[in-house]
Amino acid sequence: MASDQPTPGEELPPSGTAAEVRYGLHLLWENHLVMAGVIMAVGSVVLALLSNFLVNPSAAGTNPNLPRLCWNNPFVNWNIQGINNCGGAVFPLGTDYYGRDLLKMIVLAIPLDLQVALEVVASAMVIGVVFGSVAAYAGGLIDELILRVTDVFFAVPGILLAIVLMTILGRTISNLTIAVLITWWPLYVRLIRSQVLSEKEKPYVEALRAMGSSRPRILFRHIVPNSIYPLLVQGTLDIGSVILTFSTLVFLGFAPSPVIPELGNLANQGIDHIATAPWLMIFPGLTILIISLGFNLLGDGLRDIFDPRLRR
Amino acid sequence: MKLYEYAIRRLILMVFVLFALAVFIFYLTRGLLPPEDALSQFITPRMNDAAKLSLAQALGVATKSCPSYAAFIGQQDGCVVPLWGQFTGWISNALQGNWGYSQLPGVTPGTLTTWEAFAERFPFTAELAISGTILTILIAVPFGIISATHANKLPDHVSRVISLAGYSVPQFWFGYMLQIVFVLYVAIHGAGILPSSSTLPTSCGLCLSDPGTITSYTGLPVLDAALSGNFAYFWDSLLGLALPTITLALTTIGALTRILRSSMVDALHQDYVLLARSKGLRERTVIYRHALRNALLPAVTIAGLILAFLLGGVVVVEYVFSWPGVGAAAVAASTAFDVNFLELYVLVTAVILIVANLGVDILYAKLDPRIRY
Repeated sequence: MASDQPTPGEELPPSGTAAEVRYGLHLLWENHLVMAGVIMAVGSVVLALLSNFLVNPSAAGTNPNLPRLCWNNPFVNWNIQGINNCGGAVFPLGTDYYGRDLLKMIVLAIPLDLQVALEVVASAMVIGVVFGSVAAYAGGLIDELILRVTDVFFAVPGILLAIVLMTILGRTISNLTIAVLITWWPLYVRLIRSQVLSEKEKPYVEALRAMGSSRPRILFRHIVPNSIYPLLVQGTLDIGSVILTFSTLVFLGFAPSPVIPELGNLANQGIDHIATAPWLMIFPGLTILIISLGFNLLGDGLRDIFDPRLRR
Repeated sequence: MKLYEYAIRRLILMVFVLFALAVFIFYLTRGLLPPEDALSQFITPRMNDAAKLSLAQALGVATKSCPSYAAFIGQQDGCVVPLWGQFTGWISNALQGNWGYSQLPGVTPGTLTTWEAFAERFPFTAELAISGTILTILIAVPFGIISATHANKLPDHVSRVISLAGYSVPQFWFGYMLQIVFVLYVAIHGAGILPSSSTLPTSCGLCLSDPGTITSYTGLPVLDAALSGNFAYFWDSLLGLALPTITLALTTIGALTRILRSSMVDALHQDYVLLARSKGLRERTVIYRHALRNALLPAVTIAGLILAFLLGGVVVVEYVFSWPGVGAAAVAASTAFDVNFLELYVLVTAVILIVANLGVDILYAKLDPRIRY
């Protein structure tokens, strides 16, 4: 069959790829901001992978005898009256409402936030590639239908739709993931659709068609791989945004339990104790900021590397 | 295609999208839940089962032949109207402004309709969103211009980091940081300035002692105070608006700065800028009279979208600053299971967003004669 023949795209040796990668790494190295982003993003992933070795997960358990909301790190003086002193062991970032070491809780929380972000972004990408590329390649009624469905989702602010979904679905972590995903996928459909639209007019697609390649093969073996870079950039940027949205929803009280170590959940404990235990708000939020900023800087740098027009 | 033909086409699409959204939201809030939940917002404490049954029939959830309320709750055969029939009843009620009674915390059941509860909170949200939009424009426009004229130099890098930080900061955290700094520390270790929410604390150092009262013209406290000529009230409302506005504008400032930068960089590379420079015009004139006027076009039209975006995106900020708007009420409505409020909020926000999008596209076509639809 004609479609089993090797196609020009596959025959081409990966000439220049190594040079491209080297040049990309060079750009990365040159740009200190992006390097800072790489360090923050990779550091948070490494910390997440190691978290169960660094901190015993049983530290998340509660015990009424633990010293609640206390601070005894001698290097920081909050200058607030009425702070509890922990006595005994030093807690570098103080303790939370349940008397748990806040630093340990943050280390235990990072994997959950990153895992949800990866799940949402990866699923949104898959949905986006399937529906977006089909919409662009098929055109006509199918395109119109898929576009109008995404219109419906774009008409509602994401956080509001997520709140409605959580009201109905019930408060669990997996439902939170689903709620964020439902607000997220239309963006990827639009993105990959616009990429495929410009890609499918290129001469190599016509050449493939002339050689008798089947439509699914042209679409998924040739057009999609060629239009995937902006999706990867968006995905990197969105890891940060999903962590923000997810932890914000948890912060607003959509967590199954206030005890679960999650960055938004830890900050939520701080609301009622903002005047006597500000660390409970400050450090979990700061962790979210660092992770999110890391992925945003990285994504911003990847955009420069993948888009030759922006190179200087 | 003429502009008005395009506008009509878009309006038809808008109706379609709103209808699809209504179906989606109805299915979420009613289709996935037991049928008697549709009644919950209409039930007053004094109703007996017969009254509840006739209410269910009036709402189009129970069939006319249903023998008793218990049979309806038990979902006996032929007692519950199929979902599609329920939807037509719900949408015709909704279009007549009948959204049931509010179940928000602090509201006596059966005294306040959902529509009234929404309407009395909405001006506060609008006020916050409008001031957020104004602050965004005031900060992002100069930032965008400076980044473009100093592209890839230090000011550009600084504004890039600030923009990215704006995307990356958790809004709730930033709001509480402002509160910790201005309310906790400044209030304790000095004169308290900048109250953290619309309810003014007594320690507010710069607030005037008794703001008095104002006449309500628009529902927006700041505007009403100015129209009433009550300076004390105006000053107090403005102070109360400061911290939430800064928190709210954080994300949009970054976005608008980046958009303006890229359109300004494009404009500065155009031939007419080269011509202006070669005529020997001053750089200031070239930037502000020639490049900026063209670069502002996409940015100005986006201001409408920012306003619409902020109108829907105030949930977190209102929650953090205990702002009496619809956003904080949405969180409360979710906890109190007040689905009517959520339905109303979603659909009103969708109408605002879609109309803003349409308005921006038409404005864009009006301002830029090169654009043809």
